[in-house]
Amino acid sequence: MLDASIVAEMKRIVGEENVFTTLEERLCYGYDSTPEAFLPELVVRPDEVGEIQQILKLANKHLIPVFPRGAGTGLSGGSLPVKGGIVLDLTRMDRILEIDEENLVAVVEPGVITQHLQEEVEKRGLFYPPDPASLKTSTLGGNVAECAGGPRAFKYGVTRDYVLGLEVVTPQGEIVRTGGKTVKSVTGYDLTRLYTGSEGTLGVITKIFLRLIPKPEAKKTLMAVYERLDDAANNVTMIIKKGIIPVTLELMDDRTIHCVEKHCKMGLPLDAEAILIIEVDGQKDLVEKQAAQIAELCRANGAREVKVAEDEKTRDEIWAARRAVSAAVVQIKPTKISEDVSVPRSQIPNMVRKLKEIASRYRLNLVIFGHAGDGNLHPNILCDKRDPEEMERVEKAIGELFQAAVELGGTLSGEHGIGIMKAPYLKLETGEAGYDVMLAIKKALDPNNILNPGKIFGSESNG
Amino acid sequence: MDNIAAAFEYLDRCSKCGSCQAVCPLYGETRAEPFVARGKIFLLKNYLERKLDLSPKMKEIMSLCLLCKACTYQCPNKIPVDELVMQARSEIVRKKGMPFVKKNVFQHFLKNNGRLSFAAKMGYLYQRSGLQWLIRKSRILEMLGHDLAQKERLLPRMAGVPFRNQVPRRVSCREPRLRVAYYTGCLTNYVFPNTGHAVLKVLQEQQLDIVIPEQWCCGIPALASGDEKTAAELAQKNVESFNNAGVDAVITDCASCGQMLRKYADFLGTPESKNFAAKVLDFSEFLDKAVSFRVGDRDIPVTVTYHDPCHLRRGQGVVEAPRRLIGSVAGLRFIEMKEPDRCCGSAGSFNLDHYRLASKIGHRKVQNILQTGADIVVTGCPSCIMQIGHNLGLNNSKVQVLHLAELLSMTYADE
Repeated sequence: MLDASIVAEMKRIVGEENVFTTLEERLCYGYDSTPEAFLPELVVRPDEVGEIQQILKLANKHLIPVFPRGAGTGLSGGSLPVKGGIVLDLTRMDRILEIDEENLVAVVEPGVITQHLQEEVEKRGLFYPPDPASLKTSTLGGNVAECAGGPRAFKYGVTRDYVLGLEVVTPQGEIVRTGGKTVKSVTGYDLTRLYTGSEGTLGVITKIFLRLIPKPEAKKTLMAVYERLDDAANNVTMIIKKGIIPVTLELMDDRTIHCVEKHCKMGLPLDAEAILIIEVDGQKDLVEKQAAQIAELCRANGAREVKVAEDEKTRDEIWAARRAVSAAVVQIKPTKISEDVSVPRSQIPNMVRKLKEIASRYRLNLVIFGHAGDGNLHPNILCDKRDPEEMERVEKAIGELFQAAVELGGTLSGEHGIGIMKAPYLKLETGEAGYDVMLAIKKALDPNNILNPGKIFGSESNG
Repeated sequence: MDNIAAAFEYLDRCSKCGSCQAVCPLYGETRAEPFVARGKIFLLKNYLERKLDLSPKMKEIMSLCLLCKACTYQCPNKIPVDELVMQARSEIVRKKGMPFVKKNVFQHFLKNNGRLSFAAKMGYLYQRSGLQWLIRKSRILEMLGHDLAQKERLLPRMAGVPFRNQVPRRVSCREPRLRVAYYTGCLTNYVFPNTGHAVLKVLQEQQLDIVIPEQWCCGIPALASGDEKTAAELAQKNVESFNNAGVDAVITDCASCGQMLRKYADFLGTPESKNFAAKVLDFSEFLDKAVSFRVGDRDIPVTVTYHDPCHLRRGQGVVEAPRRLIGSVAGLRFIEMKEPDRCCGSAGSFNLDHYRLASKIGHRKVQNILQTGADIVVTGCPSCIMQIGHNLGLNNSKVQVLHLAELLSMTYADE
C-alpha cells in the first residue's frame, strides 16, 4: 500500500472524492477488455493539466508507477496496472474545447468519448473518421495513445493520420506542446507521431488537436457471398485496381459465419467460405456508380450472391451480421483472445490459410474476421482461461501466428497496440536494433520508468 | 450463496468489453467504473472467489444501480445485470441483515394493508395539518443535512382516502367483452387516485366487466432491497387473490408492478403463479392488443411527448402500444424526445437513497423533455411520474406529467 502521506497529498491535489482507496473501487480499475486483471494501490481522477503535473512530479520523486487510463476498453492491456501503483483515470477530462470550422480542427481533452466528438462534428457537416469498434465508449486519449484504427482505416487512415498536435505532461511533470492547428509542421522531430501510439509510456496526453474533414454526402453498402475465400480476396484486389477505394471491406470467414448464424439466425449461407461487407461513401452519384461497378465485378468474378442495400433497413441488416460477431463467437467458449495481426493485402489468403493450419494443429477454436481492405485481420481464439492445458496451447499458437504474420511481411499489431499481450514478441518484428532504439527513447524520456512500466517492452527490460 | 452461485455462468459471460458504459445513466453522470455493470460483475466474481467480503463499500456499490436494464440490452451477451444486482442485494441481506427502517417497512407495512393505509393517512395528515408547512417554514430539515429538505419535497401528496376505498370492487356493464381485474399498485392507491379513476374510466369505455380484488404490494420494493422472503409472501397473496377472481386478464397501470407480477412465474415457480403471470398485461398493451380500443371523440389540442419507463420498455417489451394509443387521440401533436428510454432516475426508492445522483439523471430527462416544447409528458409508471414531476418542478417548468390513462380519459365526454 502507498504511504499515507502520498495518499493525503493526492487527495489534496484532486480532492478527496476523486481518489479511490477502497479495495472494491481499486479492483474496478485493474482490468480492461483483455482477460487480464491487476490491482492498483490507488486510483486518482484529475480534472486538469495542473493536477496531472503535480501528480507526476510526486510519483517521479517517490518512484511510484503511474498507469494512465481512459475508458479501459483496450485489447492489449495498455492500461493495466501491472505493478500496482497509481491508476490515473482521465475520464473526467471530457471537454470538447473547440470545434474550429474554418481550420477544420477539433481541440479536445483526453476523456472525450470518440462517438461524442463524432456526433458533435457531424452536426456541423464535418467528419472525424477513425472508428474503433469501441467508439461508443472509448476515449480519444486512449485512441491516440494506442493509435486506434477501425473498419474505415483503409480509405481514411487511422488515428495517427488525424492527430495534428498534442499537449503532453512528461514523467517529470513538465508540459510539452507538439504541432497545433497547422496541416504542415516540420519544426524539429515529429513528437506528435512519437507520442501517438506510445501507449502511455512516454507522457500523459492532456490535449489533442484533431484534423477534421467534410462529411461524405452519401454511402452505400453491399454484401457478397463466396464459396471460396480466394475469390473474396481476389475481388478485393480487383475493386482497388478499378480505382475504387471503399470505406470498408469487412471479411468474415466460414467459422465466423457459422457462429453468427447459429447465434442470431439471420439466414446467412452456411456453405460459404467467406462474406465481404463492402461500403462506399462520397458524393451521391459517384457512390451509386461505384456500388453498381462493385456489384457487377463481384458477380462476374466468383461471388455467388451480391446484395446491394437500397434502403436503410437492408443496410442495417447487413451490418447487423458484422456487429453480431463479437457476441456470437463467445458462445463457443468464454475467453476470447482477440488478435489484430496485419499483413499486406495480397497476403490475406495465405495468412488465413496459415491461421487455420495453426488452429487445427493446436486443436483450438479460431474464427477470423477483419478488415480485408487494409490487411488487418482479427483472428479470435475462443478458449477457457480456467483450463491451463488449453491456455498453454493458445500461448504456443499465438507465438506461431505472430511469426507467420511477420514472415508474410506483416505486423504483430494493426490497431490494438503491444501492451502486455504482445510484449514477448516485439523483437520478432523490430529486431534487436529497432528494439534498442525504442528502449533508448523510453529511457531518455522516462529515466525512472514510472509511466506505464511493463508495457511494450515487457517486464524484463524495463521492470 | 446458492442463488448467487447459480448466476456464476452469467458472470463468466462478461468479456469486460465495456459496452455498458455507453448506456448506464449512473456511469454517464459519474464516469466511475464501480457504477457500471462491468465493475459490479467483476466485484461479484471476486466475491464468489472469496477475494472480497460484503463490506459496507460493496453494499454501497450494489445499491448504486437503477435496475433500468439499459446495460443488458446493450450487452453483446445480454447479461441480466439487474437480476445479478438484486441477487447480490439479497445475499447482503441474508448475510448482513436489513437496515432497521427498511426491515420494518417491508415486513410490517407492505404485508398489511391496514397498517399501510394508516401510514398513508399519517402522511396525508402531515401534509394537510399544517405540520408540513411548519416543518418547511422552520427549515429544520436543512439543518439536519443529507438533502433531507429536498427529499421531503420528493414525498408525494398522499391521498386522503386510498383509491381502492373510493371505488366499488366491481364495475360492470351489459354484455361485457371480457372480464378483467385491475391491479392498482400502491402509488395509484395511496398517491395518485386520479390515475386510478382514469384507468377505470378508460376501461369502462371498452365495455368490460372490471373487478378490483383484494391485493397487496407487488413486492418489488422488498426484492430490489434484497428482502426475497417478504417479496415471496406478497407474491403468494396476490396470486391467490387474483386467481380466485377468475378473470381473463390482470391489468396494471404501473410498469414496475407489471414487470414484477409477470416475474412471479419464475420467482415462485408454481403452476398457480404461472397461470397468474400469463394474464398480466400493462394498461397500454391490454388496450392495444386485447380489445379493439375505442378512443373518445374529444379533441385534445396539445403537444405531447412520451417517456418510456424502463420496466415497461425493457422490462416488458412494450414500446409501440403507448405511442399508438397517444397517436389515436384527435387534435394532438406528438413529438418524440431524445433518449425517450433513458431512465429518469426514479428506480423505486433510489431517488431517496441517492438523491443527488438521481437528480442529475432526472435533470437530463427534464432537458430532453423541454427540448421537445411539449405541454405534456405522458408515461406509464407512477414512479416515473413522481420523479419527472419533482424534477420539472425544480426547473420551474409548466410541463405537466400525466399517466397515459389520464390523457386517454380526457377524450371521453363527461357523463
